[in-house]
Amino acid sequence: MSLKFSDPQDQQDRNLKSLVFLIATGLASLFLIGRLFWVQVVQYEENQRLSESNRIRRIVIKAERGYIYDRNGNLMVRNRPSYQVALMPYQLREGDSVFNRLLRLRDTTNTRLVDSSALDYVFQRGKWQKFRPLRILEDASDAQVAFIEERLDEFPGIITIVESRRDYPYGTMASHAFGYTGEISEDQLADSTYINEGYSFGDRIGQKGLEKEYENEFRGKNGVKYIEVNAYGKEIGVIPEMEHEMASQGNSMITTIDLNLQKVAEAAFPDSLKGGMVAINPKNGEILALVSSPRLDPNIFSLEKKSLAKQWASVALDSTQPLNNRAVSGTYPPGSVFKFVTASAALEYHVITQDTKYKACNGGFHFGNRYARCWTSRGHGRLSVIDALEQSCDVFFYQCGLDVGMERINEVGRRFGLGSKLGVDIPGEKPGLLMDSVTYNTRFKRLGWRWSRGQILNLSIGQGELVTPLQVAAYFGALASNKGLYQPHLMKEIRTPQGQVLKQYQIKKINDGHLKTENHQIIVEAMEQVVSGAHGTGGGAAVPGVRVGGKTGSAENPQGKKTHAWFVGVAPLNDPTICVAAVMENAGHGGVTAHAIGKVLRYYFLGDTSLSNAKLKAAAEAQGNGD
Amino acid sequence: MKDSNMQLVKEPHRLDWSLITVVALLMTIGIAMVYSATASDPVAWYKSFWFRQIIHFTIGWGFVVAILFSKPRLWYNIAYPFYFFTLLLLMFVLFVGGESSHGAGRWIGMGLFNIQPSEFAKIGYLLVLSRYLSNTSVSLERPFSFVIPGLLFVVPFLLVLKQPNLSTALVFSATTLVLFYWAGLRLPDMFLMLSPVFSVIAAMSQLAWGGLMTTVFVVIWRRKLPAFISASIIILNVAAGFGSFMVWNSILKEHQRSRILTFVNPLRDPKGAGYQVIQSKVTIGSGGVTGKGFGLGSQTNLAFLPEEHTDFIYSVLGEQFGMIGCSIVILLFWLLMLRGVNICQIHGHPFVNMMVVGSCTILFFHVFVNIAMTLGLAPVTGLPLPFLSYGGSFVMTSMILVGFLLLLRFKGEEI
Repeated sequence: MSLKFSDPQDQQDRNLKSLVFLIATGLASLFLIGRLFWVQVVQYEENQRLSESNRIRRIVIKAERGYIYDRNGNLMVRNRPSYQVALMPYQLREGDSVFNRLLRLRDTTNTRLVDSSALDYVFQRGKWQKFRPLRILEDASDAQVAFIEERLDEFPGIITIVESRRDYPYGTMASHAFGYTGEISEDQLADSTYINEGYSFGDRIGQKGLEKEYENEFRGKNGVKYIEVNAYGKEIGVIPEMEHEMASQGNSMITTIDLNLQKVAEAAFPDSLKGGMVAINPKNGEILALVSSPRLDPNIFSLEKKSLAKQWASVALDSTQPLNNRAVSGTYPPGSVFKFVTASAALEYHVITQDTKYKACNGGFHFGNRYARCWTSRGHGRLSVIDALEQSCDVFFYQCGLDVGMERINEVGRRFGLGSKLGVDIPGEKPGLLMDSVTYNTRFKRLGWRWSRGQILNLSIGQGELVTPLQVAAYFGALASNKGLYQPHLMKEIRTPQGQVLKQYQIKKINDGHLKTENHQIIVEAMEQVVSGAHGTGGGAAVPGVRVGGKTGSAENPQGKKTHAWFVGVAPLNDPTICVAAVMENAGHGGVTAHAIGKVLRYYFLGDTSLSNAKLKAAAEAQGNGD
Repeated sequence: MKDSNMQLVKEPHRLDWSLITVVALLMTIGIAMVYSATASDPVAWYKSFWFRQIIHFTIGWGFVVAILFSKPRLWYNIAYPFYFFTLLLLMFVLFVGGESSHGAGRWIGMGLFNIQPSEFAKIGYLLVLSRYLSNTSVSLERPFSFVIPGLLFVVPFLLVLKQPNLSTALVFSATTLVLFYWAGLRLPDMFLMLSPVFSVIAAMSQLAWGGLMTTVFVVIWRRKLPAFISASIIILNVAAGFGSFMVWNSILKEHQRSRILTFVNPLRDPKGAGYQVIQSKVTIGSGGVTGKGFGLGSQTNLAFLPEEHTDFIYSVLGEQFGMIGCSIVILLFWLLMLRGVNICQIHGHPFVNMMVVGSCTILFFHVFVNIAMTLGLAPVTGLPLPFLSYGGSFVMTSMILVGFLLLLRFKGEEI
């Protein structure tokens, strides 16, 4: 039935087909109208409600972080308001030039308010995250915020948000203990535990120190409010019938830090030197002061990204590593500070008595074909254990160490917390290292080194072990008190923002840390001789009227520069309440450090650091009766 | 011409003012909707979407007038050259590359105008298929009658599918089916030809596929087609059904299945693909029977509905004018069909008939798919609503089709 070109189609056929076409399109139209009826009449209420709720924006009110106080109630860490300018991507309109207009914004110095690549990133991200504010301008100045606020109509999709940021009014003071907060990282966000805890992009979270350790206490609980918004994201008003949930501020913390003592400690520790200092109360493990040098100003982490990046680069790339908390993470050979461990082990295992004297020190010691020097070539002669500790004679401890053996020395070291983490409540603590034949052989297997008894010579005078300043303070304090080793800690109390006590730190004895009474007496006498004896190496730590014990140490460092200078001081010796340990890198002899610790101890007992000799004497007489 | 139907048309050889009125009404509604959807844009009036749309319409009417000055024969004559030209354009965007809007390369930049070759292809394909089928009928009894129109169809179909522009590919399919019907394909036969496609979908459920196959058998038995055709249809159905079943259950991975299901039913993914559809449904639904009133749509004014002035313009109408306004627009489109198809009763020339029905099909297919999409019944494929959606390219296509309808009524005899 092929049609010729000129053949008209059969009229009836055309009419039928037209009718079919009209019926088909008519039915399709009726179908659509039926659907309209369903959506607009049957589901009207539901859709009406949904359309209402569209105008309502759920706003998360970020909780303010809890404050941190020192032990006397001085406010050490607080918050400040910080303004953010952000993009609400779903409010952007197709074809709108907000992007370009934002780029055109310049401040008074004619620099661009927003960086084009950063803005591009935000707009790209906005394609995926349409309903979350994405920050364009961080920590904006008041002037910038006012400028934007006045022009919200010109920038549909742009909003301003107030956040609170950490503020450290004392700057570097105890900054390594407090740590800092920072924006949650992509890695952290990829970790489901953070997501489950309710963190989201742009949140600030404790990244170091107490801020990190006690994040859950400080962060508080975010609140929610519902507000009506218009097309430009301008908040028209709160919606009264929707229930609000107020944000509750995080808990505050009373730390064990003593601000005044901390100030003295920071002042006593020279800025130019690297190292760490820890003051601890041996009776309960409270850390009274914690210094790590070079200092770090945690306020830089609250800066906006560009400044932060600059500052961050300067601290992160700094070869002196100011980010490193040397007080708990810095490991150094203990040097002569370790001799008290060797001596205690010798006494405890009855290898020596108070009166045992070894071969005289002529400035060195022959062991096999090796000649091990004493620190002074003049020699110390024949010494008892107390004198050997007072004068820090190496030759005595070479012989003593060989007699006792590393297993027994290390056993006593472990009693006082050396060689393992103490569990201080800030992250990053290092365990240090105690060395014996097994450890030595496994550790240096790759280098092909084998243990020999000659190693004992070095190890018994503290060259070869690794300790942190915190461990030294804890060990020496426990050794002096003989009442056990308490877990060092910085948290004293957790309180509600209103000041109600929620938690108190439960003091924890982590190790027996105990010597036989007669041995303890010998050790304490030796400690005292170091500071106040005629040949004592730690005279700088003396406090008039107070029985101070201590020990110097010079840790050889592998770089072969000047030795690291150790000092640890403890007082009062009859019932110690403070033990201060410090290491100063490449500062030479421990005597330097002793002076710094002396300042801390004098402040602690006398309330002054700059006493003249006359005043010192007067103070001594006033206080002296009891000792 | 002495048919009783002619009473409907007192003077056949004149401009169809009622069709012009229907189109003008739709355009007025369209401009009002584009205005209300974009009124809050802080731009000068002469840069605004509604003003630009008026310009598009003006140019569109220019096209109509130009077409009215032409002779129907001209379109018959240029059908093949025009068709091959559009194929070249399609290949140009596909292989040489055009500018991309929304990720799919569909545009060619021409400085002042951006042209979208797939829009030209709709016209070109309409012309060429109308011309071919006005000389040759098709029937399932003569399977080879489908070879040439099939080739004419497959080439542009694949080219736009590759862009990827599924919606335009579907426009070609709809046009083809209706014109085949006009060229002699019987409805049961059309069902049989389409049944393998149905099989692919029905394979999801054994019951549905069983029902489909029963129907296919009944139709085949009633039609008494040649045995090899009947057998081929059954084999194709079985192959399509099993193939689809195997691919769906064994080859596709869970996320691929999920993507297909989400494409068919965007409501499965309310935050992603379904967001626009849900917002659109809510927008229309919140209009109720009478609507919130012109300019009072909170959904549109508060910008919760993306693409509101283009693909989702119908939702803007629904919110502000409710079911009444929405139904009137549907009615206007159906009146357009009525006025169009009416030409087939005046003029008997197959080319005129094909062109008329094809134009009506293209327009109505857009109307149906677009509205179904805004109501959450169809995938978001990006088909605009004729005369209402903002956008230059498609306005031109629509106006050319309107021009054809007016021309063929005016001068249909002259061919």
